[in-house]
Amino acid sequence: MKQVESRALTGAWSRKYPALVIGLATLASAGCSVESDCGVVTIAEMTWQTAAFTAHVEQIILESGYGCLAETVPGNTVPTVTSMVERGEPDIAPEVWLNSVRPVVERGIEEGRISIATDIIADGGEEGWYVPEFAVEQYPELATLEGVLSRPDLFPDNEDPGKGRFYTCPPGWACQIINENLFRAFEMEEAGFTIFNPGSGEGLNGAIARAHERLEPILAYFYEPTPLTTRYPMRMIESVPHDPATWPCMTTLDCQNLAPNMYPKPVVRTLVTTSFAENSPEAYAFLSRVSWTFDFLEQIATWQEENQAIARESAVHFLKNHEEVWSAWVPEDVADRVRAGL
Amino acid sequence: MLLSVVFFPALGQDLLRAIRVALDEAYRSFSREYGDLIESLFDPLLYLLIWFERLLLASPWWVVLIVICGTCYGMTRSIKLTIITLATMFVIGLFGMWDDTMRTLAIILVSTLITIVLGVPLGIAMARSDKLQVIFTPVLDIMQTMPIFVYLIPVVMLFGLGKIPGVIAVVIYAIPPVMRLTSLGIRLVAEEVLEAADAFGTSAWHKLVQVQLPLAMPNVMAGINQTIMMALSMVVIASMIGVRGLGQPVLEAVTNQYFALGLFNGAAVVALAILFDRMTQGYGRRLRSRQ
Repeated sequence: MKQVESRALTGAWSRKYPALVIGLATLASAGCSVESDCGVVTIAEMTWQTAAFTAHVEQIILESGYGCLAETVPGNTVPTVTSMVERGEPDIAPEVWLNSVRPVVERGIEEGRISIATDIIADGGEEGWYVPEFAVEQYPELATLEGVLSRPDLFPDNEDPGKGRFYTCPPGWACQIINENLFRAFEMEEAGFTIFNPGSGEGLNGAIARAHERLEPILAYFYEPTPLTTRYPMRMIESVPHDPATWPCMTTLDCQNLAPNMYPKPVVRTLVTTSFAENSPEAYAFLSRVSWTFDFLEQIATWQEENQAIARESAVHFLKNHEEVWSAWVPEDVADRVRAGL
Repeated sequence: MLLSVVFFPALGQDLLRAIRVALDEAYRSFSREYGDLIESLFDPLLYLLIWFERLLLASPWWVVLIVICGTCYGMTRSIKLTIITLATMFVIGLFGMWDDTMRTLAIILVSTLITIVLGVPLGIAMARSDKLQVIFTPVLDIMQTMPIFVYLIPVVMLFGLGKIPGVIAVVIYAIPPVMRLTSLGIRLVAEEVLEAADAFGTSAWHKLVQVQLPLAMPNVMAGINQTIMMALSMVVIASMIGVRGLGQPVLEAVTNQYFALGLFNGAAVVALAILFDRMTQGYGRRLRSRQ
């Protein structure tokens, strides 16, 4: 249990309060059923559903299979990855959409503070500008950006009558800046659109759900897979192809050389701190094998949506019903312990 | 069996899930059925909000400043406070937060107006009927303590994102103090005063308007003051459902960890709160001293 002392409780603390540290370490080891050198592991639970699901799957396996004191901590891409690079905490970020934090990740890897464990979604996610599937059936021109730009009247902004509303990303998401630049590059204001900040991920989800329930078209940034899009099918609008040459400028605030562009196919990876990878090689070996496809994750998301389940319930459901997937990630004895713990 | 001694014998996972799914479906079909109707009922409010916001944004800044300072002097008759108000608003403008402050001001003032128009009569009703008091008290408790996002989800399903759900959230959260204090103020009016009024043969309506309300006014003003404070504290929450104003930069600052941006806009909200507080309190004091 030496890891508990050295990582959970910092050096300064153990120097100041040796008795407290020993006491806490004893307490901690009492809660630990299997002898291991894994220690305390913190896993970032991001705000969107698939990432939270992944965090809980890994938490359960690390805890009951490897005997780690694994816990999930709330997180969000940019602050979490920054904190991993700067302070070495949390240990694991299970689902990082690289597009939104590329500079921080590249610097962290260069400095040897974090490393990539796996492509958690093997074939990547999807992100871009979406309209509801039903809206395209009704108005076929909405399948393309050109068609969307010619019909601001289909997306009425009730706070700015006469204009069409484009729902961008909530604050804190990297796509907020990108969308703003794309909005200007496509000259959408001239086309009669307003850019609307939904305020939060929950707000964006709510707006999309409402649009489907009312059968009103909506134009929004979104991403897949999510439980929401399994209930309310959305279609990514066809626009210009991704251009890597002009893209870096489009991701920066006050980009001067605006050019029409679109999101690249997102790469989604698990990041871990280097200290975790070095100190817990077995747990790291497990994490580096965790991976699924977009379709499989969407299947989980569908179950979650249909059952109004929270991330933890989905994780338990997955571990109970898809043993063929996860048992390949861990040695036999670990799998037995996970099974027993369910 | 032994397990249920240690762990609470909760309903089965599957049953709980079925309950959640059923409730959710019920709400969905309700919003599908009546959403348009309910939304159209709120259209006049939306037009008022848009009109007021545009008025504040389109008026030259000095006109707005004159109106604000004039209101301040009219309410408090305090030169000192008027100068402080002028200086504060000036600094807010200097730091580039004028437009967002106007948007926040618009939604807060309209919300406060609605709260007073609804809250004072309801508070009077509560004071006159013990039965209503018994019904309203737990409802007000729920409104003040229910985590806001719990009812924001259904509200967004009905109204979409933006000003209307923002106003509804603010009103639900901010109406309890004005109702409670109006009721309290009227109930505290001395029995002898009412007997005297009866002796003069005053009608019930006259007694309310000429005797009870004026005597309860300091309490009502305290309630309105609290209501405005609570409305302002909702600015950031409201921005999470797409209400524009000072809340959005605060939210942006928090999620991006921009310390200075958060501090500036947070300070602007606090400044507005303090100004409103001093104005309404000053007005309340003047009412009291007149009695």
